[in-house]
Amino acid sequence: MNAQLQGVDFAALAPLLFLTVLALALLLWETFSSATARKWAPLATVIGLAAALVLAYQAPVSTNPLLTPWLNFEGVSRFFTLFFLTVGLSTALLAVPFLKQFDPPRGEFYFFLVAALFGLILIGMSADFLTLFIGLETLSVALYILCGYMKKWEYSQESALKYFLMGSLAAAFLLYGIALVYGAAGTTQFSALKTAAQGSMPGLFLTGIALITVGLAFKAALVPFHVWAPDVYDGAPNPVTAFMAVGTKAGAFAAFALIFLVALPRFDDLWNELIALLAYPTLIYANFVALRQTQLRRFFAYSGISHAGFMLLPLAAGTPEALPALLFYLVVYALSTIGAFAILAFLDTSSEGVTFDDLRGLYSRSPYLAAGLALALLTLAGIPPTIGFFAKFYLFKVAYQAGYTTLVIVALLTTILSAYYYLRLVGILFSATPSEAPIRKSRSAALVATLAVAGLVALSVYPKLLTIFE
Amino acid sequence: MSPLFILFAIPFLLALLIALTPQTTARRLKIYAFILSLIPLIYFFVVEPNSEVKIPWFPNLGVNFHLSFDSLSQIFVGLVLLIVPVAIASVASDKMEHSHTFYFLVFLLEGLLIGLFTSRDLAFFTLFWEATLIPLYFIIAQWGKHHPQRTALKFLIYMIAGSALMIAAVLALYFAGGQTFDMDRLRQVAENVPQAKWIFAIFLLAFAVKTPLFPFHAWLPDTYCNAPTPGTILLSALLSKAGIYGLLRIAMPFFPNMMQAAAPYLVPLAIFGVLYGSFAAWMQKDYKRLIAYSSFAHVNFILAALFAWSAMATTGGIYQALNHGITIASLFLVAGWLEQRIGTTAFGPVHGLAQFMPYLAWVALVFVLSSVALPSTNSFVGELLILLGLFKQNPWAAAVLATAVIWAVVYMLRWMQKIFFEKPSFYQEKWRDLGLKEFSIALPLIAIIFWLGIYPAPVLKQAEAATAEIEVKS
Repeated sequence: MNAQLQGVDFAALAPLLFLTVLALALLLWETFSSATARKWAPLATVIGLAAALVLAYQAPVSTNPLLTPWLNFEGVSRFFTLFFLTVGLSTALLAVPFLKQFDPPRGEFYFFLVAALFGLILIGMSADFLTLFIGLETLSVALYILCGYMKKWEYSQESALKYFLMGSLAAAFLLYGIALVYGAAGTTQFSALKTAAQGSMPGLFLTGIALITVGLAFKAALVPFHVWAPDVYDGAPNPVTAFMAVGTKAGAFAAFALIFLVALPRFDDLWNELIALLAYPTLIYANFVALRQTQLRRFFAYSGISHAGFMLLPLAAGTPEALPALLFYLVVYALSTIGAFAILAFLDTSSEGVTFDDLRGLYSRSPYLAAGLALALLTLAGIPPTIGFFAKFYLFKVAYQAGYTTLVIVALLTTILSAYYYLRLVGILFSATPSEAPIRKSRSAALVATLAVAGLVALSVYPKLLTIFE
Repeated sequence: MSPLFILFAIPFLLALLIALTPQTTARRLKIYAFILSLIPLIYFFVVEPNSEVKIPWFPNLGVNFHLSFDSLSQIFVGLVLLIVPVAIASVASDKMEHSHTFYFLVFLLEGLLIGLFTSRDLAFFTLFWEATLIPLYFIIAQWGKHHPQRTALKFLIYMIAGSALMIAAVLALYFAGGQTFDMDRLRQVAENVPQAKWIFAIFLLAFAVKTPLFPFHAWLPDTYCNAPTPGTILLSALLSKAGIYGLLRIAMPFFPNMMQAAAPYLVPLAIFGVLYGSFAAWMQKDYKRLIAYSSFAHVNFILAALFAWSAMATTGGIYQALNHGITIASLFLVAGWLEQRIGTTAFGPVHGLAQFMPYLAWVALVFVLSSVALPSTNSFVGELLILLGLFKQNPWAAAVLATAVIWAVVYMLRWMQKIFFEKPSFYQEKWRDLGLKEFSIALPLIAIIFWLGIYPAPVLKQAEAATAEIEVKS
């Protein structure tokens, strides 16, 4: 047994190590030379994250026994690392026009962003409840601050406080659950869960699992654990909302996937029933409330909750095919949501955020922005021929195969409902009387929007592009 | 690359081409678009793309990009390629804004319809089925009139409500048929699937809303009237055919016994739809609405033929689907020209136009006669076959349906009389007669109408071959 860390192990860890150094460097830079940091930190972060992406892409797999009990380097973890880094990179790019516009008095934005990203990647790589918990907390603490970053905004403080209180509660549930599972399994490693599930203390184990599920359900904003999400999304700065809508949600689902699809596939039908029971209210409630929204950040909060509901379908199914279906959906959801937020960045000029009114007649003012946003919204609505249709189709197939016919029918009906509100928004884009809200120019947001839209088009034409991951 | 794939790809390339055309006048862009729209039509006749395309597309789902060309596809694709230039020709380019986007959407729709009418993979069929709604939605919402947004949304909601459950039905078929979307294989097993009755009903509902069969037509009058003229042509001539094609491609071959069992309920519905549409058309005070209801009556005539489950009626129905597409496009084309000149679609303000615009009146009359199935026009052949086929099955139903021919004369000639004849109104400046460009569109259509009416054999042979593939017993 080789207990020494070798070069290959460092290379495998490189993305995480690199992000740590980047985060600390950004913090020190801000402390010692605030003016230059303000000017160049965005570029440094973008370059740094791009470098991390390259490092992650080329990272070898470590088999060192010092690391493998804690971290997973293969398969789905690798996918999550790349996915989260891409999300982080897009957020960093979207933050550039935002910070230029609002010019907050402090400059640690990018430090917190990189820290949050570190937490996310740790979640995706975790092979043990402790690494998972550390990842979740690193993410959450950074996000609590990011939510309240615009101190002068009326709702920002409420947003941060609410998120903090709810997040702490969720963390408490999660930790208590982990403790109970530890009691039943004698270890916190994911690999030992399967044997523990058939172990001598099923009551203890199941209680622990239930609490962990509740904790993660808070993070994923599933109904009825969702009440924080709309207010928090609403009060947070636009790029942070984008990061939460995609990154945090994906983080929670990454945790779900690692525990319940990889480590414990269909260990107990009761759990799958429970997830299906969570899916019903999530789908129905979120889609109904989204109908009445007029502010985009709130709108995306509810839309995000409803998509979380859709992503519960493969979790409930728990079949071997559930994981690729979930990941596929996650990528499509991320591309379209980030694309939409990138386009909203052009219109984001006040602390109230972008409202439906500001989007009125966007087509006649800027056809490209309107077309891009329309494509993103149609994808979210799952309207063919966008790839959103097949992403949903895949989910429905997996759930149907596992026997959740009623759930599939409810999901189909709520898809119609969601089509209504997405299409209403699309209709507003094309209405005849344009609003006079100012449109800014931003090259970095344009880059993100272009890449996201190109990704959506490419996937719609040839989805096999993505299936190589699986 | 197979010729069929090229045919499928051409409209998408044209869409890109027209979107990237440099800024120019709307009038010139219309000419470009019209010329471009002839390319796939010429390709279709010159190359005859009888081929197959099969590419693995989403392996995890077993979806193949599978297009194939048979007699049925040929008739419907031919109709699409023919109607798109007509629709483009009907654009009133002087009032058109955002022309680039408009033609882009029209070509997009053309490509999607070709995909729909040739696809042999049920997933792709569903995909094209839904996707055709997007360009139509934007065409109605952006270029329509009288609350276009509301009309477009109503149209879309109806369509999605009609077909949303179809996805569940497709999934159910997919699993029961051994995880495949291949239509030829699904056809073997469809009727023995446990929930076959439900699946059949769901497909039938989707097709009935799209066509539309009485009583699923609530979306039709507003949509047809508020859409811009080219949009109305695309809707009435092509989109209604998607429903008919769905019946011919899926409902009838997949569920032959259930179709037969349902006939006693469906045939009366369709016949009632014909009568209702005729009566409603007669009651209209607006000629665009009148034509809209006449279209509704005529598609229900076709549906009655398909529901009757007789080889002759089905052949007639397929033939009539082609005819209806051509005739209704011609009628809306003329209605559009008329509207441009007199500035209204209502009866009343103007009369006796035949005196000032004789050519327009004659052209309109030819199209009207084709619509009322005068012998030697295209519709006569189709409707005669349908009535003969139905007569063998059920003489009473045929007798009732035959009266529809008379109703058609009553309401159609009412339009002619109110607008073109009666005492002439005072002459107005804008009342120019048909010009050379308009004639160059109208004359080929008239030629096709008479050609299909006098020498139907080549196309009828295709229709018979298509009927034989569906295996309708006479």
